Amino acid sequence: MNKFFFARLAATNLRKNGKVYFPYILTGIGSVMAFYILGALTFNSGMQDLRGGAAVQSMMQFGLVVVGLFSVVFLFYTNSFLVRRRKREFGLFNILGMEKRHIFRVVFMETVYTALISIVAGLLLGILLYKLAFLALLQLLRFDVQLGFELAPRAIVITVVLFGAIYLLTMLSNIRQIHTANPIALLNSDKAGEKEPKTKWPLAILGAVSLGAGYYLAVTTKDPITAMGMFFLAVLLVILGTYCLFTAGSIALLKALRRRKKFYYQPNHFITVSGMLYRMKRNAVGLANICILSTMVLVTLSTTVSLYIGTEDMILARYPRQIGLIMPELDPEQAAAQDAVAQSVLQEHGLTMQNEVDYRYSELTLYRQADGTFSAEETGTMDIVTVAAVPLEDFPGAPVDSLAEGEALLYVLSGEYEADTMTVLGQTFHIRDRLTQFPGEYFSGEPITDVYYLVVPDLAALETLNAAAQTVDITASLQRYHGFDLDAGDDVCLTVYEEIRAALREQEISGGVSCRADGKEDFYALHGGFFFLGIVLGLLFLMATVLIIYYKQISEGYEDKSRYEIMQKVGMSHAEVRRSIRSQVLTVFFLPLVVAGVHIAFAFGIIVKLLQLFSLSNVTLFACCTAGTILVFAALYAVVYALTARTYYKIVR
Amino acid sequence: MTVLEVKNLKKVYTTRFGGNHVQALTNVSFTVEQGEYVAIMGESGSGKTTLLNILAALDKPTSGEVKLGGRDLSRLSEKEISSFRRQNLGFVFQDFNLLDTFSLRDNIYLPLVLSGKPVQEMEKRIAPIAQQLGITDILGKYPYEVSGGQKQRAAVARALITRPQIVLADEPTGALDSRAAESLLTLFGEINRAGQTILMVTHSVKAASHAGRVLFIKDGEVFHQLYRAGLRSEEMYQKISDTLTMIATGGARHE
Repeated sequence: MNKFFFARLAATNLRKNGKVYFPYILTGIGSVMAFYILGALTFNSGMQDLRGGAAVQSMMQFGLVVVGLFSVVFLFYTNSFLVRRRKREFGLFNILGMEKRHIFRVVFMETVYTALISIVAGLLLGILLYKLAFLALLQLLRFDVQLGFELAPRAIVITVVLFGAIYLLTMLSNIRQIHTANPIALLNSDKAGEKEPKTKWPLAILGAVSLGAGYYLAVTTKDPITAMGMFFLAVLLVILGTYCLFTAGSIALLKALRRRKKFYYQPNHFITVSGMLYRMKRNAVGLANICILSTMVLVTLSTTVSLYIGTEDMILARYPRQIGLIMPELDPEQAAAQDAVAQSVLQEHGLTMQNEVDYRYSELTLYRQADGTFSAEETGTMDIVTVAAVPLEDFPGAPVDSLAEGEALLYVLSGEYEADTMTVLGQTFHIRDRLTQFPGEYFSGEPITDVYYLVVPDLAALETLNAAAQTVDITASLQRYHGFDLDAGDDVCLTVYEEIRAALREQEISGGVSCRADGKEDFYALHGGFFFLGIVLGLLFLMATVLIIYYKQISEGYEDKSRYEIMQKVGMSHAEVRRSIRSQVLTVFFLPLVVAGVHIAFAFGIIVKLLQLFSLSNVTLFACCTAGTILVFAALYAVVYALTARTYYKIVR
Repeated sequence: MTVLEVKNLKKVYTTRFGGNHVQALTNVSFTVEQGEYVAIMGESGSGKTTLLNILAALDKPTSGEVKLGGRDLSRLSEKEISSFRRQNLGFVFQDFNLLDTFSLRDNIYLPLVLSGKPVQEMEKRIAPIAQQLGITDILGKYPYEVSGGQKQRAAVARALITRPQIVLADEPTGALDSRAAESLLTLFGEINRAGQTILMVTHSVKAASHAGRVLFIKDGEVFHQLYRAGLRSEEMYQKISDTLTMIATGGARHE
């Protein structure tokens, strides 16, 4: 035989099977591209020198691992689909006189082609788009750096090695499958009579229980710190539950429907129920995959988008003024010195303090008790609250002139508080009014607990609280916050901030200084990084979802063709056939999306709690982002449906 | 009473751009009376399948008419055709055409379900038919679990359950071994004696020899016909063989 024969045959095979190979190669290109870009970002030497760059890079590294794992699983999955479709072809080759080793050579050449095209095109596109991705990332991070065109040799090497290995493994698995089968079996492999699916009650029950438990955990978790641990458990339970219910639960349900004769023996239900039974048997895992992928896309995108959009709000909440002078233990002399330092620095720059706030406060970290009061006794849960008390006299722009003893104003920074009274360490405050804003800088870092600002009548009330705290061994001290705005941009603020900080350190003054512009960089480094990763992973998952749907439609089209021919001969009209196809396909198609929606609905509460850990407490924003993501996703899904349904009808007709 | 009347039937297949004309049926006319058992014989490519497809309203003739129970098939609208087919025709195919996803019982019920019959009615109808065909015990099984002969019996049951005016059988013994074929043909005889009109298309002499009348088609025309007229199957077999030999060797035409 001509030594180019196999190479040519392999090329022809790929072209002939373009309908299924084109999307496969496209997936390969997409995966390679995403992997290379994340790899290049991970190994980018310039990033490390940027502020927050190390954090971003470790995020990218995490993304790299996710994409790597995903590529392995997903390329194997699509490959198994391809081989199943092509077994007949290989059987024919075998019967026409090709030895198995010749077929192996064809398979080898085909793999080489697919791998070469995918890896080379993926890398080229990756290198081209890397620059764009990098600029986008910098934009998201609000980094203002220009870096030249850059190749990442390390990223190229690991991409080639990883994907080379994946394709090699898929080829070995294909060869093994062809090797073990005899030609007749290969030839008839797509016609083998299929057994009726069995009802697996234990699995169905396990699925229901684990889904229920996952939902229960997600709904009942009250505080962010517990949420962190519970979230992963809940996710695992829900994934397990989804797989079990899609595989066993659906079949149990359909069989139960079939036993109800009055329902079953009706024109619409008869064909749909029995058709779905087999469809679910074959596709349950694929549908569960789509469902879980969709949920991931939705969660990843909605959280990262809302984090990113909410960043400005968070910064404002965290830094109510451009510059803040902080003193954890108030010492009037030191405080005066702190102010003096700030003033002198401002004078050098010709700036003055504007929008000043200057208040004393005390911060208590307590446990929420079963009766809703706050005290120091541990409750065994992680339901922790932070109460910051401020005397009315210090509070600027209070809506009331005076508060009677035992009265207070409440501002809720994060969490919820519905009651009219608040009991803190045995002292009950009647809440006279609620504030809509409060220029409070959250001193202890991110408000991972619920945070309540309580404006108490006077300094005496505050000191009583501190004294009560000391008796139960809680550290409580009078603190001070002095914040002000400058009529200047971020650059000037940063200079002023650095100078004040240096001066304070030099003069050994105990307080600290904070700067909004400085905090902004950290926030954007973190959230921009998340956002970028969210988009990359979201796109990748979306691509996977689309591809699974596409393959599903095609494979089902071929299988359904003969069935509908028979039904037409027995006396089903064209319109009835179409209707029946549509109802089944719609069900199969939109079931995962609906279930994903339900998952999100149950997860909403716990995700809100988790976002609190990232200081996003704007539930409305998150709700809007989630709704938006779901709508966009559903629209894309519908488009994919319309496109693939057309292919499907073309095959069936 | 005439059940089926076929008059001057002609079918020409045209390739998409009108380049090639293939004449499948030139001029076919015959009638089938109530309670008759007619076999149509012919070699591959003689137009048998085309004829059957037209009788089943799966295909439309180029000219000529087909009347079933007095109704002209070509006058039926697209919507009416399916239900007409369901109510008046029963089909038995060479490759059974049972759906793998249904049990035998559900396969038999299929046309009734499509007509929207109530469950009690279906159960009442299936019992005697399954009894007669000897498939009562295997109704709950799936097509892939039973033998070819049993599958074909289920297909026959599906054809009979709608109490059709005529059963159209397309090479019903083609995929069966000789014993299963023999017993199916005996069954067809019994069903016919019970009053069911049957039209069978076949090229098996054995199958045709069970029929009451045999039509021979050649080159799209009815070439010859044979009446059983009290002959035993063996004698009928001999006559059919002779006729086929004559047709193949190009003998003179006689009616």
